[in-house]
Amino acid sequence: MTHVNPKRIARKVFSLALIPLLLVSLAPRRAALGQIAAIVASDEDVLPRTGRAAPLFRLERTPVGREGELLTVFGGLGGPAPAAGTQQEVPLVSILRDTLGDEDPENDRLRHVWMLTYTRPTAWQRVASAVPFLYGRVGGKRASAKGMPPAVIDLAAPERDVWQRFMWLALQNVLINPHGAVAKSSSSALRANSERYRQAHILRALAILSLYEAETGERSPFTVAEAEEIQARLMLADQTFGGLLDDAYLERVHQKQHSQWLDTRGHNWELLRQRAEAEGLYFEPLTLPDGEPTHALLWVAREDLWKHRRRKFEKRFLNIAKPWGDRRLERWDGHTERRFYDAENRPVPEGTMGARVVELIPLALYGLDHPKIPSLLVDFRDGRNPQRREMSHRVIEDVARHVLALSRYGDIHYFLGRTVFDFVTSRRGMDINQPSRVRAYTQLKLLLSLDATLDRDLRREIEKRVERVSLNPLENDLEAEARIARRQYEALRAYAARPDGLAARLDRDRRAEMVPLAHGRAERVLLRFAGVLSLGLYKHREGAPAAEVRAALDRERKLAHHGRFLRKVSKSSPLVEVVWNVEDVRRSLRFVAESGARAGASTAKAASLIFARTHDAETRRLCLESLYRINNETAKRELLAIYRRPELDAGLRAVTERYLRDALREEQRIAPADAKAILAAVGR
Amino acid sequence: MRAIADRGLRMAGPARGGSHPPGPRGGRPAFSSLTPGRPRQPRPALPTPRLLLAALALLLFAPPAAAAAKRVVVIKVDGLPHAAVERFVRERDRRTGKSVLPWFEHVFYERGTRLNNFYVRGMSLSGPSWSLLDTGQHLQIKGNVEFDRYTLHSYDYLNFIPFWIANVGGVRVDMPGAELLDELGIPLLADAYPYDERFMSFQLYQRGNRWTTLQRGLQNAVTSRGIRDFIDEWNTIGVGGRDILNEQQERELIGKLQDPRVRYLDFYTTDFDHAAHHNRDRATQLAALKELDALVGRLWAAIQQTPQAAETALVLVSDHGTNTDERVYSQGYNLVKLLGRAEGGGHHVVTKRRLLNDYALKGIYPLIPLIYTTTEESFYLKGESTTYPTALVDFDGNERASIHLRDSDLNLLHILLLELRRGKLSEPQRRAAREAFFQTLERRRPGWQRTFDELREELGALRRLIERQRRLVESQPKKFTKADADAGRDKEARREFARLDSWTGDERKYAAYAQQLANLLALDPARFTPERVRVEDLFAPGAMGDANTVRQLQNYVVGPAPRGLTLDIGGALDYEKSFRRVNYFELLARIAVLNNVQPGVASRPVDFSAVRVPAEAIAGALGEDLRADEVIWLYGGRDRQALVLARTGGGLSLRYLPVADLRQGADGRVTFTRAAWGAGLPLKLWEDARLAVPGGVSREAWLSGWRTDLEWLRAAHRTAYSNAVVGLHEQLGRHATEATDDRAPGLAEDERLLRRFRRRQRELVETDLLIFANDHWNFDVRGFNPGGNHGSLFRVSTHSTLMLAGGERAGVPRGLAVEEPYDSLSFMPTLLALTGQVEDGTRPVQALWRMGYRRFPGRLIGEIFEGRTDAPAPVADAEAAP
Repeated sequence: MTHVNPKRIARKVFSLALIPLLLVSLAPRRAALGQIAAIVASDEDVLPRTGRAAPLFRLERTPVGREGELLTVFGGLGGPAPAAGTQQEVPLVSILRDTLGDEDPENDRLRHVWMLTYTRPTAWQRVASAVPFLYGRVGGKRASAKGMPPAVIDLAAPERDVWQRFMWLALQNVLINPHGAVAKSSSSALRANSERYRQAHILRALAILSLYEAETGERSPFTVAEAEEIQARLMLADQTFGGLLDDAYLERVHQKQHSQWLDTRGHNWELLRQRAEAEGLYFEPLTLPDGEPTHALLWVAREDLWKHRRRKFEKRFLNIAKPWGDRRLERWDGHTERRFYDAENRPVPEGTMGARVVELIPLALYGLDHPKIPSLLVDFRDGRNPQRREMSHRVIEDVARHVLALSRYGDIHYFLGRTVFDFVTSRRGMDINQPSRVRAYTQLKLLLSLDATLDRDLRREIEKRVERVSLNPLENDLEAEARIARRQYEALRAYAARPDGLAARLDRDRRAEMVPLAHGRAERVLLRFAGVLSLGLYKHREGAPAAEVRAALDRERKLAHHGRFLRKVSKSSPLVEVVWNVEDVRRSLRFVAESGARAGASTAKAASLIFARTHDAETRRLCLESLYRINNETAKRELLAIYRRPELDAGLRAVTERYLRDALREEQRIAPADAKAILAAVGR
Repeated sequence: MRAIADRGLRMAGPARGGSHPPGPRGGRPAFSSLTPGRPRQPRPALPTPRLLLAALALLLFAPPAAAAAKRVVVIKVDGLPHAAVERFVRERDRRTGKSVLPWFEHVFYERGTRLNNFYVRGMSLSGPSWSLLDTGQHLQIKGNVEFDRYTLHSYDYLNFIPFWIANVGGVRVDMPGAELLDELGIPLLADAYPYDERFMSFQLYQRGNRWTTLQRGLQNAVTSRGIRDFIDEWNTIGVGGRDILNEQQERELIGKLQDPRVRYLDFYTTDFDHAAHHNRDRATQLAALKELDALVGRLWAAIQQTPQAAETALVLVSDHGTNTDERVYSQGYNLVKLLGRAEGGGHHVVTKRRLLNDYALKGIYPLIPLIYTTTEESFYLKGESTTYPTALVDFDGNERASIHLRDSDLNLLHILLLELRRGKLSEPQRRAAREAFFQTLERRRPGWQRTFDELREELGALRRLIERQRRLVESQPKKFTKADADAGRDKEARREFARLDSWTGDERKYAAYAQQLANLLALDPARFTPERVRVEDLFAPGAMGDANTVRQLQNYVVGPAPRGLTLDIGGALDYEKSFRRVNYFELLARIAVLNNVQPGVASRPVDFSAVRVPAEAIAGALGEDLRADEVIWLYGGRDRQALVLARTGGGLSLRYLPVADLRQGADGRVTFTRAAWGAGLPLKLWEDARLAVPGGVSREAWLSGWRTDLEWLRAAHRTAYSNAVVGLHEQLGRHATEATDDRAPGLAEDERLLRRFRRRQRELVETDLLIFANDHWNFDVRGFNPGGNHGSLFRVSTHSTLMLAGGERAGVPRGLAVEEPYDSLSFMPTLLALTGQVEDGTRPVQALWRMGYRRFPGRLIGEIFEGRTDAPAPVADAEAAP
């Protein structure tokens, strides 16, 4: 008798059941522009053909009680900014800044970021997003958004994302997976779609804020540090351990990531230009308002279709069908443009003496921000072509995981095969099995909104085609999104105005922020564990009076601000005064020396390093004072180490000795071995 | 060329201390004694009266504590443009009010000397540029990659990985560039210091390899960070292999600063160059500069903590600038594809860089072989790309490219032979083709016969050298003590093996070429049966043969004509109608792209081509007034041509001559017509408002005269092409060294032959065409460098960085900005003068002379020494050099 593994039968049945689903999902979808404001899809063309005259963005401040403010970036997504308050203007991103009710930026804290098109899905969308292999939209959200919209990130608690990710992973493996393939694949699909939906909106927020910063420059209401923090945290949001990164590294993250993106962009720009040149096609870069090219169009000259009909076509990297001899192009009745070129092949205005005229047919549109290769976003001859490429990675992943129940960690053959396959497709720059092109889409939608130079017919053609590529059931159509953005902003404003609304939430957040001040590490772990066990329903908050909370956080945030600055100073230069304004350093040290008893070991180490790296007597004295004030073992160990330095001058040695003696007398935290050493060195 | 020196005549006598034989390679015997033919100064047993007098004078007149740097720390930065440093040093940080490059300002601007006009002398390309800086001698290495036309041997001066692997295998000790310079008898700056008194980082002209650096780098990358930093940096920000290596090298350098014996230390970094190639944006380049700034700070601070701080000079030098602009992407043009296309000649092309390397699975293979790019459009060599490539391309840089094409007559003979073997020719055609074959052979016979005869002699000498070297290698100790290793004696022994290995390879490859040449020359028309000869026996696979003449490049044979071989009225082969030909000068100048999408970037990728014209061939056309020793032709189009004329006897004089319609006749004579000065000529000197001719002289008069290289530099350094006239001569001129001068009197026969062989090898890497890209164009096809490039003669690419600072007794003026223009050749003598190792600005002291150093052709940067009443105290012994 042949024993058939029931799991195998189940897999087969399930796989067969999935096939129709797969076929359905492959069918072209209706409008799926989920990541752009409605103005793009409206019938009325509001993009003027002239250059931009007014700013594209506007910032609105909304007070949140007396101790916070909501900063909202509005975009004139109809090209050049229309007058404020007109329908064309769409609220895009809101950021909550907790000011503690004063003007001092040192104790400000940026909290939640709302991408206002990001919304809670409808029940139907949730169900659809849990259907495996359903790669496509199921319709926009119609109901109006009520209450506070969901934030895409809490900048003050980025680590929460990391823990949530792990919590879901644990839940998935412990609670859901044992219930079979259906439960496993459904929950996986739900999570993956939710993550992608959020990621798309984070990327859009990042792009908007980046453009906003580029446009406003020094006039930006965000400090340099705030701007870097916002952008770096958004960049890190999709990295596994991104939420755990120390704030001191944010500047580097921002710089490195930004450089990498620009590198990719330039690289793809050049790759596509060269490929177009090699194939006799016309290359046209498209730029965002900051002047950065993010996309490019490829065209073919109608006259060349006949001229080059026998020409070979190398489709590598272009990923479109051969245009030469293509009947669809020969009979093309879609959008075309007449362009004029001078003898040097520069585009020139119509009527220029000696210019030749060329009728161009659009072939494809590419995103330049995709890793390694330009990503095909629109194929004007084959609308499904980009969709298939975008889907390929997910199909491979989902079939392996959910149909064949293969895991990289559980099957060595699959692991090896998949590793080779991934390596080859990635190394060769094949446009299948590649990372999602969600960033390129996000940028494209922004570009369509902001680029006033695109021909209106062409823009419509692009809009129409780009909708087909949307694979996420959670996404809303364009019209719905603009409506959602406006309503969510209204809801947010209303929530901000209510005493029990955003201000109350701010207060709750502060009380949660108080937890490390009131509890030790072990207690905090237990409290967090309780939160995890209750699926996030329980969150511990301190119950002190508001004024007390405010005062404590004021101290704590300032200490964090100065500690971060001192850490940066200590790591950056072997001689502090060459690189930094020494008065700034003294100011931070002075704060620690006066109010830094709670400062951490890293601040103590920073003070010690600064002591070694400055010749400024006052700064050195403040370092010693800070080390005395910081009540932890590291600070006293560093103080003792300084005392033991043979080259220390007599005056500072005396000061150090006094501080060590006082620390002993005050019974500060000192490691027993250090206490003994101090006793031996300075006496009681 | 690879290492050759007559071991039989090598002297190994210790020059200092006697503990080890000092020399250019640290542990190597003095190079001056390596080349036997060199008129050696007999070493006197006792100091001569002249030396005694000099020593006495020093004792009497030198101040007791003469200011001289006793220790030098050199930060070598690849591709650092002076303008970028200057711009950012002047820029204030909003948060601190300090410069955004505070350490540059603190160290070099406030406490040191900087040169505001320091240029590469030659192309702005790393391999050649660093060789100028590291030797102070005229250019011998003409590209990052060089190909030997006869053997297809490639010299890849930039590639570390093959070197590391060969080093592990014990077959190589030094990077290829250092090996080659050794062979030419040109010591490096670091060679002025014994092995145990110097610390060299990983660089292009590297000696030896410290494997412990790699090993400790990896260890420290993990152990030097806390767990939190580890997660933050590695998992989130990412740290690459170069970071690990740089970190460790810095750690080791700072460690070595504590050793008072170590007097020369260097640190080589390519980070800025890499950043600028990739990214054009300000933020990325500033970030790379800030890293460099922090490095300057760390090294400066570390120096200050040592007892020798007062006598230590910190020097920052770069090999070239970079053509990068925030508004423009640098555009690539694929010359390899052009050459492969029918219009380009249908060549199978050899490169040393893989095309689209990052997209090729083979790109992960670390030992880069020769890359063959096959074309389907070859007219007669289809399917034979690896046997008969007909073009070699080096595009590194990438604003220039060098192209070797196979000797056009070899193509012609090859085509005729194939036609004859096909058996499809009519009898008259067949007869005419045979005649043409032997006519061509006879025409070339004198030259090829001479080459064959000379090669035979040279290979005989080489074989005798190999035998001597083999005995020497066998006599080397097999085991070494730690003391030996510390003194570098183990490396010296391995160097002997490396030389043997190199020479053996040379002998084998050249012998094969000579054999095929002999076969060709031995063909007898009476017994010639085309069907029975093997093509490979007559035409050496891979060999390019001799360099093409201007005439050949103007009429280059790429295949049979579409209608096949055609006969003239007399029944002879009509050479014009029987072959497809390409005029490469016109082809390159004609290239234009379809997509011209960036304002300010021309649609023509090629600016101009430069070729060396034999002086004797053009002498008749030049006349006595324009008589020149060396001639370079610049071709930018039919109406954009010029000659750069050089007279080398008694100091270098250069002249720029606008010409038109330059041609070479069948008799070899070159003719041209003089053209008037006007805008649009190569180098655009006429129209450049920044050309600073001396007062009272008209622009035309000045430009139409013979000028020294210094005059050219002073007049033209601020123009768009800066010191291009001088640079072209440096690049395309031939600069003899003692090791290649076979006409020196008193040479033993073998040494004479070996010197001739060395010279031949250098001449065999000379390319047919040197092509310069237009502004913001490049020829990189390995990948994409949209951020920026270098390699050209544009000022933006040649304007480099040199800054010095030092302790109070190091003799470096403080707060000095030197406006006088200098070039790469000034670096080495200035540094040696700073440490008291040259006399009268150009002549190395006796100790260095004995080690192979010779008079430096470059000028001392006099401003550094102005106002000093004290002579730099020599570090080495101060005997007068011959």
